[in-house]
Amino acid sequence: MKLLRDRLDRIAPYFEKGGALEKLYPVWELQDTLLYTTGDVTRTGSHVRDGTDMKRLMITVVFALIPCMLMASWNTGFEGMRAIAYGAAPLDTWQTAAWNALGLSFDFKSTFHCILFGALYWVPVFAVVMIAGGICEVIFAVIRGHEISEGFVVTGALLPLTLPPTIPLWMVVLGIAFGIVIGKEIFGGVGMNFLNPALTARAFLFFAYPAALSGDAVWMAANLQGVDTYSGATLLSQAAATKGALAGFDWWDAFWGWVPGSMGETSAFACLLGAGLLILTGVGSYRTMFGVLLGTIFMAIIFNITGSDTNPMFSVPWYWHVVLGGWAFGAVFMATDPVSSAFTARGKWAYGFMIGVLVILVRVVNPAYPEGMMLAILFMNMFAPLLDHFVVQANIRRRLERSAA
Amino acid sequence: MASTERETLLDPLINNNPIALQVLGLCSALAVTTKMETAFVMSLAVVAVTALSNLSISLIRNYIPSSIRIIVQLTIIASLVIVTDQVLKAFVFDISKQLSVFVGLIITNCIIMGRAEAFAMQNPPLPSFIDGVGNGLGYGLVLMLVAFMRELFGSGKVFGFSVLPLVTEGGWYQPNGMMLLAPGAFFLIGIFIWVIRSIRPEQVEEDFHVGALSEPGYEGSVR
Amino acid sequence: MQHSTGYIIGFSAAVCVVCALLVSGSAVSLKPLQDRNALVDKQKNILAVAGLMSSDETLSADQIQTLFEEKIRPVIVNLETGQVDSETDANTFDQRSASKDPETSQPAPTNASKILRIPYDGLVYEVVKEGEVKTLILPIEGMGLWSILYGYLALDTDLTTIRGITFYEQGETAGLGGEVENPRWKALWPGRKAFDERWNVKIQVKKGAAGPAKDDPYQVDGLSGATLTSRGVTNMIRFWLGPDGFGPFIAQLRDNPRWTSVKGT
Repeated sequence: MKLLRDRLDRIAPYFEKGGALEKLYPVWELQDTLLYTTGDVTRTGSHVRDGTDMKRLMITVVFALIPCMLMASWNTGFEGMRAIAYGAAPLDTWQTAAWNALGLSFDFKSTFHCILFGALYWVPVFAVVMIAGGICEVIFAVIRGHEISEGFVVTGALLPLTLPPTIPLWMVVLGIAFGIVIGKEIFGGVGMNFLNPALTARAFLFFAYPAALSGDAVWMAANLQGVDTYSGATLLSQAAATKGALAGFDWWDAFWGWVPGSMGETSAFACLLGAGLLILTGVGSYRTMFGVLLGTIFMAIIFNITGSDTNPMFSVPWYWHVVLGGWAFGAVFMATDPVSSAFTARGKWAYGFMIGVLVILVRVVNPAYPEGMMLAILFMNMFAPLLDHFVVQANIRRRLERSAA
Repeated sequence: MASTERETLLDPLINNNPIALQVLGLCSALAVTTKMETAFVMSLAVVAVTALSNLSISLIRNYIPSSIRIIVQLTIIASLVIVTDQVLKAFVFDISKQLSVFVGLIITNCIIMGRAEAFAMQNPPLPSFIDGVGNGLGYGLVLMLVAFMRELFGSGKVFGFSVLPLVTEGGWYQPNGMMLLAPGAFFLIGIFIWVIRSIRPEQVEEDFHVGALSEPGYEGSVR
Repeated sequence: MQHSTGYIIGFSAAVCVVCALLVSGSAVSLKPLQDRNALVDKQKNILAVAGLMSSDETLSADQIQTLFEEKIRPVIVNLETGQVDSETDANTFDQRSASKDPETSQPAPTNASKILRIPYDGLVYEVVKEGEVKTLILPIEGMGLWSILYGYLALDTDLTTIRGITFYEQGETAGLGGEVENPRWKALWPGRKAFDERWNVKIQVKKGAAGPAKDDPYQVDGLSGATLTSRGVTNMIRFWLGPDGFGPFIAQLRDNPRWTSVKGT
């Protein structure tokens, strides 16, 4: 450890003001503060600070994501190989070639096989997001002369989990670049962005390349062409298409997450583990999460009561909604993004509640998008400052009245 | 051409671009720029309308009673727009079908009204005409740039000629659907403004704040 | 400068007169050209679905009009009886405006295509070659995902084999439902069968890929990522070939083919 510290210190002068590599200071700073708590101290006035700076905060989120990441590997492999077992053809990709070269069988009952096969799909997406996102981040840090923000690590960890396994890597590069530049840097970097960059990236991909992000063919690491006995569609799109489609599935399957879907979103259980850590450490707001839950229950019940002859989604109960699609992932990891969500306590309840209402509205009423989590959160991101404004105004008014009395 | 006239013509292209600096005429810029062909015809139509409306308003500027000047300008502009629409329908039917209501909506384009009120009412016919052409071209320039990007990346084509062969037609290029949606144009115009203002920081406005619109001296408008 | 009220009124009257002359003058003088453009545009679509002209072929307006007059004959059909109505002038009849006019249309029964009114008369085109009808072109319309799609369906004289389909107006998502205009997708239609042996409409746009027309005659590939547009196309074909659409006309033709009777005209 000492050796590492010495090394960093030895090269420091090159990067500090006046040094030869002055422009690359943000890169050195990133290394330094990622490994050690910063040496910078507050110089003016008196402040109380604990060791939890931005980097520790962000790292906590990444830790909370670990169950989802493991599930991403396992379930991608499991779903792909199970479909192959039902007669689907393996995809014509390098992953299949590598698998065959290793001499492994498509055995979906073996956990090890599943994780390894899924990792072949998930890890490259993750690596590409990190590299491409990191490059965008460094370019802006160098030009603008600010420190490299750690936000991109979280953005980069979130984005791959929301993508289907068959997404081409070049799309991933475009998506993360758009998310970081348009979703964040254009407004001045971390802390200034009013949209969640990972969701901005996903929304960009969703609207730019809809065929690669929706439809039945994309959710499986296997080719389902001509396989009639096995559906690769997500449960949400099946539920939207036929009445009572969910009856054929076990709720627990959807809860544990062994269903087709985006790589890391399927398991409500993994998200619940993450939620536990986030709430325990205070990094993610329980107000937002429960707000989303309440909104979902409220709206789902309204639709259940209303009912509809033509639209089977009306009858889906709330406890199905929360285990389907990206609901759990969005509520736990996306909606709680401290920068783009509401800041005030009551604002968070309202913000969460509205997300819950909107997600059900989009899922049930909009015919084009079976999933509404992304759109609901992005929409409410835009309203978060307004909610805060109302809360603050109400507080001011109340205190004025109190002092007047 | 005298230097002031050249300035009148060229100034609205970059320095004082109606879309990029004044942020005028955005709605049509979003609607007609999925193809270069439609954007080109739309640009021509706007150039024709701004130039002719400036010219005719300037010709009668000394006779217009100031109490009814806005409605007179509007009548003239509206007539010119209708004539333009009729001409397009008669001679380039395919394109006018794609432009649909947006030719008619040139009437609501703030650039034309703005130039008539700000320039043609104070200046003689020739400079007014040139100013109209310049502003129309400034609008057209942005339109063409946006349309170029949208058609190239959204459909792999330039002016209808296939440049990037599409996957659906046996090529390799996967078109970007975002470019064909209105937000695509919105992002492109935003990025375009960003680039111009990074090169010319003097174009950056004072911080906008609530209430600025009603303050004296605020000239921007969002349309 | 202050102006008298009389001057202001006079001035505005003068501006109005000049502008009115300008507008009406251009509208009247350009009207014949515009009408012709609209007509040629419609004829072009019909020629395309009849397979008489490929979509990337560029013919002049004159060529299109000659080709159309030579090969295509409009026929008006009473939708309820299925009988040909020779009293109305087929050259001036417009089905789309007829279906909006309460005089010439009636409310449609609830249907999946969300068609609100159906006209009493439909406008069908027959492709005539050497005095014999070769293809029948039926107008179709119906709701997709976001928009109403307008198009034509071409049927062979066996009244079940599809010769082609085209959509000339739609507002579906570009790249997904908008692919109904893709020539590659439209090329999947010819050769497939619209009706089964018992003359029920059977053709459908399925989810996923269908086989070649020979082996899988009743299904067409779905548009990938556009389930609802695909379903919309199925629905509108079923509606227009069904009892509320051209069903009676087709039934009439089966018993009593017109092809022979029109020979030589």
